[in-house]
Amino acid sequence: MSAYFIRRILWLFPVLFVVALITFSLMHAAPGGPWDRDLSSRQVDAGTQKVLNAYYGLDKPLWRQFTAYVFGDVSSTTDKFVCGLVCGNLGPSYRVRGSTVQDILFKPPKGKGFEYSRFGYSLRLGLISLVFAIVLGIPAGIFSALKQNSLIDYLSGFISSVGISIPSFVMAIFMIIIFATTLHWVSVVPKSWDEAKAWVLPAAVLGFGTLAFATRLTRASMLEVLRQDYIRTARAKGLHENIVVWRHMLRNALIPVVTILGPALAGLVTGSFIIETMFSFPGMGRAYVTAISQRDYSMILGTTLLYVLMVSLANLSVDFLYVIIDPRIRLEE
Amino acid sequence: MAVDNMKTNKVVALNALEKRRFRTPWQEAWGRLIRNKAAVLGVVLIVSFLFIAVFANVLAPHNPLQLNSGKDFLPPSWIETSASGKHGDPEFILGTDTLGRDVLSRVVYGSRVSMMVGFAPTLIIMLVGTFVGLMAGYYGGRWDNFLMRLTDVMYGFPDLLFFIIALISLRDTWLGQFMNGLFLLFFALAIINWVGVARIVRGQALSLKQKEFVEAARSIGVKDSQIMLRHLLPNALGPIIVQGSFLIPGMIITEAVLGYLGLGLKPTTNPDAFFITSWGSLMLDGQTSINAQPYLLLAPAICVALVVLSFTFLGDGLRDALDPRMRGRA
Amino acid sequence: MRKIFALLSLLIVASMALAACGGAPSATQAPTDQPAQPAATTAPEQPAATEAPAYHGTLRVNVGTFPDIMDPQKSSFVNEIAVLQMVYEGLTRLNGDLETVPAAAESWKYNGDATELVFTLRKGLTYSDGSMLNAARYEYSLHRNIDPATAGEYASITNDIAGAADWNSCTENCDDKKAVVMETVKASHADGAACTGYDDAACDTLTLKFTQPAPYFHTVASLWVTYPAKQELIEAGGEDWWLDSDNHVGNGPFVMTNLEQGVNVHFAPNEVYWAGVPSYDLDYSFITDGAVAFEAYKNNELDINGLAAEDLATVQADPVLSKEANIYPGSCSFAMMYHQLKAPFNDPKVREAFSYALDRDAWVTDVLKGLGSSTLTWIPKGFPGYKDGETRWGYDPAKAVQTLTDAGYKVEGGKLIGPDGKAIEITDTFSDTPRNRTRNEWLVAKWKEVLGIDIKLDPVEATTYTALTKDINTAPQMYILGWCADYPDPQNWLSVYWKTGAFGQRIGYSNPDLDALLTQADGELDPAKRADLYQQAQDMLVAGAPVSFMWNNVNTYMVKPWVTNLNKTPMDFGWIGSMDPLSVTVSEPTK
Repeated sequence: MSAYFIRRILWLFPVLFVVALITFSLMHAAPGGPWDRDLSSRQVDAGTQKVLNAYYGLDKPLWRQFTAYVFGDVSSTTDKFVCGLVCGNLGPSYRVRGSTVQDILFKPPKGKGFEYSRFGYSLRLGLISLVFAIVLGIPAGIFSALKQNSLIDYLSGFISSVGISIPSFVMAIFMIIIFATTLHWVSVVPKSWDEAKAWVLPAAVLGFGTLAFATRLTRASMLEVLRQDYIRTARAKGLHENIVVWRHMLRNALIPVVTILGPALAGLVTGSFIIETMFSFPGMGRAYVTAISQRDYSMILGTTLLYVLMVSLANLSVDFLYVIIDPRIRLEE
Repeated sequence: MAVDNMKTNKVVALNALEKRRFRTPWQEAWGRLIRNKAAVLGVVLIVSFLFIAVFANVLAPHNPLQLNSGKDFLPPSWIETSASGKHGDPEFILGTDTLGRDVLSRVVYGSRVSMMVGFAPTLIIMLVGTFVGLMAGYYGGRWDNFLMRLTDVMYGFPDLLFFIIALISLRDTWLGQFMNGLFLLFFALAIINWVGVARIVRGQALSLKQKEFVEAARSIGVKDSQIMLRHLLPNALGPIIVQGSFLIPGMIITEAVLGYLGLGLKPTTNPDAFFITSWGSLMLDGQTSINAQPYLLLAPAICVALVVLSFTFLGDGLRDALDPRMRGRA
Repeated sequence: MRKIFALLSLLIVASMALAACGGAPSATQAPTDQPAQPAATTAPEQPAATEAPAYHGTLRVNVGTFPDIMDPQKSSFVNEIAVLQMVYEGLTRLNGDLETVPAAAESWKYNGDATELVFTLRKGLTYSDGSMLNAARYEYSLHRNIDPATAGEYASITNDIAGAADWNSCTENCDDKKAVVMETVKASHADGAACTGYDDAACDTLTLKFTQPAPYFHTVASLWVTYPAKQELIEAGGEDWWLDSDNHVGNGPFVMTNLEQGVNVHFAPNEVYWAGVPSYDLDYSFITDGAVAFEAYKNNELDINGLAAEDLATVQADPVLSKEANIYPGSCSFAMMYHQLKAPFNDPKVREAFSYALDRDAWVTDVLKGLGSSTLTWIPKGFPGYKDGETRWGYDPAKAVQTLTDAGYKVEGGKLIGPDGKAIEITDTFSDTPRNRTRNEWLVAKWKEVLGIDIKLDPVEATTYTALTKDINTAPQMYILGWCADYPDPQNWLSVYWKTGAFGQRIGYSNPDLDALLTQADGELDPAKRADLYQQAQDMLVAGAPVSFMWNNVNTYMVKPWVTNLNKTPMDFGWIGSMDPLSVTVSEPTK
């Protein structure tokens, strides 16, 4: 088994490389470049654009830009070798000029810990919302399945359907109107993110989709398991209902739930644009989306690679969890 | 009393047994389905939405593109005075949008695009995802590794960039023009979204293939394709259906956003065009005017919720109806 | 799920950019003057010192998107300048009437042909930390702005300085070119003696030499590119020096006391600012979603916030909110651009017909909801060079059809048929956002109504749109574009935009007669003659009907009643009254 997981970890490198290559090609194929600003006031003129391109090495052939990004290249301004991705250097941001992508994502403000970096903020919010989704979603799913076609079941189905049909930007503004402007439980713009209650609304809105999904999925796979013969056997031989549910049913029902929670975790901790925009949250979700519309090349690559790394690791852990949940599963053959 | 009861029960059981002999499994499944009230409700709703979509041009009270100067942001007819001080007009039942266009007519027309976009890509995604997931989970080893690394790559695939490039390179070709740009949309959505389904099915397949009944089937020499179709797929159906019901609203909303990248429905000035607007576009219009005309947001949101709810109910009903272990029950 | 979120987000980015910048059709931000109250430029330092201590409040402003760069020589966006101009001050500044008035420089003087400009600094200027501020600091800022190693995005604004364009665009062996600029931008003592450094108190003179007459350059000197950020702090802090509030030691009305990236920026009054001391603290929030910001404003968490067109009616119907709305003209002009080299718009008659067919007043009421003012000329009202009473190419549906027919065009089945009998397809291209969709749907419907032509709508992604419209070859047949003033001088409206090779180039506009007239006006020293020459140039521009001038934007801000004495100017950056923060008073909030 351990050999299998070591092999899987080694596979991360080709996966990251392929994603970097695809992303690189796509972003350079997209029309426009980092100096094509939205049409406010003045556009960068041709002369300045030439200077900027030379400054960042964007005047070099594409293959060389790619190898420079991945492995490194000699800087045209200082004539020193600058190591690339292989040394953990994600490159300079073209929009937040003067900062590297790793600084923007991982560097906390002066005198604060890692959890105050953009990634740190997103990580914290993502974990909270995942806990929220699991703690509410899985029990709700189990209960709906055990009481299939009861009022509770219909209610939970209704709530999750409505929940996923309402886009999160709409849900966020409704939450703000109810809890901030009307009830005054929290302020619209949190004074400080050190206050625990400031996290409640963003975490709830962020986790709601995952919550609804986890509920429905748990219910569906519980229903599958409920009808299996071994459950009937377990009940028939007089086992206590709790033991039947916990030991026999849940173990088998969790496979699909765990499958989605892996990538969901990766998505949650790498931040959400909508949540960050609506709640003025200082995470990294905005970085990815704005980078694409601004053609901030190294930021696009950096955030994409970080996301793929998280997804791959999450999927790896999911496969690992499969084996723990159901020891009969064999991944290698 | 007790005896009587026993007797009745026995009679009922016998009747059921007798009837069952004359029914195919499909008839039985159908029987179970139509006895499920929620599922029937779902079917009725979906059929009515389809009806509205097909006959939108007859049902819509107004031309959905007709601008009405000075009648912008009217509230629904039952509201006397809105927050912005405008008065409801019985001519516009759900009020008007920022250019004075009738919201009800736009919602009616919007059903065309949104019904299509909700179902067509979802169907493709489920087929592709299920196929890949079954193959990976059942054969395992190298197949699994290759397909799952592919899904890792796909998860990180920069979809936004992909859409932007597809828009630029294909917007003047037949592919970009076909069905007013909708065909390209289905295609792009499917390419990007099959991974989630594939992983779920693979997870199920990994677990199921070790089960006794699968091993039994294998040991008596049942073909792999038969095992996958007859044994793995039906047992994985629940999660697949759930995934489907979650993809539908996702697709409807994504269509709206992609529309704004020029990769969906192109805006038109021709009132005879088949595809004019979509619920997603209406919701996005509604978001900016949430204070002035909330029904621009509410009406399409309620429609999407109803479609999803119907599909959830229908999906649950279908799964129960098709479950081989439910045979003879309900 | 993430995928869908990501897509949604892109859209919202696009609509935000639109709201924040006013580049594409938007009417949310950007400045203009109107009821300009006389500026109370000297601050209330003494009042009520003995009795109850004066209330020291905090003015809470929503500025929108968090700045990407807060480096005076690299910044270029409204939200970035809104931060910088609180901390720093240029050689000159603009007052409420858009006149250039002394700031760090006490006076300035051009030579005979306006090819040389000499600034004399105020005596005893200091930074907020008490250290000396002399002309060498401004010399450094200008050098840094031109230096290709800085690669500033607004560097070309100082290209009138001799040698600046050469050095700035230089990529290799630049020492000679640098040496030229070292001489054309030079700090010295009043008697011409060389300065000895940043602690040379007699170093109060800054001399600029130009390649051509530039009698407007004292106004350029008010821009943020001249802000004197300290060399030693920039060099010690590295490329991202501006991320640390301690490095922002400036000479403006405020001192930056806290900077949390993506969250907020806080300012306290600069106790040693030469013109006085503001009576309040200033707090910038960065809420990008309009609906959320509106809730925060209603919840008394913000004192100043922008107002979206969609919410205008709601605000006006509310007895309290309606009193808090401030609407005044902005600094941008928008036009429907026609590609001068692409059929059918290479024919001026077609452009005229399209202009006649455009009902700008209906556009302003129906589409902009009244937030804007229709125009038939280029320079907006309130700016020097504005021409009142322009009527050419105004809405006249009958004339529109007539002009087209007279020029030999026909319309058959929604298609425009040229004089040669060939059908010409017309496409209206726009940056794709919900707002732009409705706007262009309206336009196309109206043209169809008047001219009977079916115009194809072509939405494209925002940055693609920028890239397309930048290049004369890829620029679409017709699209809306605007221009916002960098500084209030007709030169910035006309020469910077419409001279051959300037921004108008992208639609293929080139008029040698206009070029000659503008060159003459740019070098003219007599203000009256100069104004007249620009007036003639604008007349010539409008006469050719190169584009359909459409509307000017307005600034719209909600302001709480306890914030008073706002000196509105057309060039407000980020918030109402930001050009003159000293005059603003913040009283105790009432609930």
